[in-house]
Amino acid sequence: MEPQCKRRKASESETVAWDVFPVLSDEQSQDAELLEAYAAPIINKKETSRLVKELASIYPLPGVQHIKRVRACKDSGSLNPLEVIVCLVRDVQPIPNNKDLSISALLPSDRVDISGLGKPFLVKVPAYPPLTRPQFEQASRHWPTSFHEDKRVTVALKGQLFTADQKAKMQKFMTAAVMAAKAGRALGMDAVGAVIVDPQTERVLATGHDCRGGANPLHHAVMVCIDLVARGQGGGAYKFDRYPTCQFSVPTSSPHQSRTVISPSVDLLGLDQAEQSWVPYICTGYDLYVTREPCVMCAMALVHSRIGRVFYGVASEDGALGTKYKIHTQKDLNHHFEVFKGVLEQECEELKQDGALIK
Amino acid sequence: MGTETDDNPADHRNTFQPSSEEIEHWMQKAFDMAKEALENGEVPVGCLMVYNNEVLGRGRNEVNETKNATRHAEMVALDHVLQWCHQENRNSKEVFKETVLYVTVEPCIMCAGALRLLNIPLVVYGCRNERFGGCGSVLNVPADELPRTGAPFKCISGFRSEEAVELLKLFYKQENPNAPKPKARKD
Ligand SMILES: [Zn+2]
Ligand SMILES: [Zn+2]
Repeated sequence: MEPQCKRRKASESETVAWDVFPVLSDEQSQDAELLEAYAAPIINKKETSRLVKELASIYPLPGVQHIKRVRACKDSGSLNPLEVIVCLVRDVQPIPNNKDLSISALLPSDRVDISGLGKPFLVKVPAYPPLTRPQFEQASRHWPTSFHEDKRVTVALKGQLFTADQKAKMQKFMTAAVMAAKAGRALGMDAVGAVIVDPQTERVLATGHDCRGGANPLHHAVMVCIDLVARGQGGGAYKFDRYPTCQFSVPTSSPHQSRTVISPSVDLLGLDQAEQSWVPYICTGYDLYVTREPCVMCAMALVHSRIGRVFYGVASEDGALGTKYKIHTQKDLNHHFEVFKGVLEQECEELKQDGALIK
Repeated sequence: MGTETDDNPADHRNTFQPSSEEIEHWMQKAFDMAKEALENGEVPVGCLMVYNNEVLGRGRNEVNETKNATRHAEMVALDHVLQWCHQENRNSKEVFKETVLYVTVEPCIMCAGALRLLNIPLVVYGCRNERFGGCGSVLNVPADELPRTGAPFKCISGFRSEEAVELLKLFYKQENPNAPKPKARKD
């Protein structure tokens, strides 16, 4: 059943058969929202700066400062090579009939020399500054916009954020999670496995599988691993000794000598149970590898534990790190982290399929 | 009296509803617990799991002693119910279906997820938890469309909420944020 030769091959070769992509916020992943605007050709190119200045004084376009006021006409053979945004449709009284659309209907002739502008027309402009290159490219098809590119996001969206060497290590850790999932499945648990790793030392601090078939239905693999990390640091609420695969190791001298961190100044109405003077943020800076996307309980447990990054193999139906929620980017929460999916996708997908067959 | 939110008319478990006297009674106990915690210098949150007029779970925050940031009062109380079921040889699934959580502060997103996974039918809470609340404040886990995460549950919110907030304010005042408790540490 276990393709021995295949596994060896994967660890030896530097190339891996999967891609890893970031799970971005809704703002970063949604399609560019568009607004309607009136644009007009600039009849004499030399008048451009005067027209832009005068238009800006009448219609300063608040809230859409990212759009470029003037664009080069798409049709290169055009008589008027430049076009300018006059105003947003929402800035003026509704003009129900396109035939009634004229420059004088949009602009007071006493404040602009409207003879410099041709017949206006409707365009769509991006409502918000683009956050990612795909959004920028999409928005630019409608009207030029400025874009402050986060190069890291661009590279990540191409699946190229990690080097082959890094991916080989990720594969090693996810393989450990897959093995744990299989060990759990052999005990009648859901086939989900997880490991928590200190990326500084590359040590696996906790390995766990789903234990919900045991004494506690809340012992999802992630909850098991969080408690095992606590156990490795002298805490922990449970004993998982009867599950030989669920293991912890004591962190070796880590840069954070004590992982107990002083909480930021306590907000009077903060009502955070976890935020007393001393709180064990035990997973600060650590990476979690889990075979499938965590549920809402587990995702929020990772926020409370201040996890550094999460890598998962495949999405799950009620997943809370991308599918149903994006807890890691949730605005009101006080800790955010990066989430990546696709690591060892095929093997993780197979675990899910097996689970479905059992049920 | 609190206000009801999030009714799921399709949910047959809506028929499960304690009387207002019962709610009053158990919330009084939860507030007593919160005050007791305050007197002991602990987070003033009272949290009770009640089944068939019996308290099966009574949680206090155990984050510090376990070094596990998920050990919120609700999670601890849920474990007590599981232990009770184990001792009494009862089917925990059946017990949870008729167990009510009474808590002075809105459960966080994680705890709301846990309550939902266990099919708790009703949560009665005091004040909102603006930073982490999973029952309406930040997210609405009990009402959202999550077919693989247990069953939706009902919430009765705002029960003596000013009092619950007041207790927390008192706690943070005595816990002067500028002077964190000194900790034995050899640097
Ligand atoms: Zn989970
Ligand atoms: Zn909680």
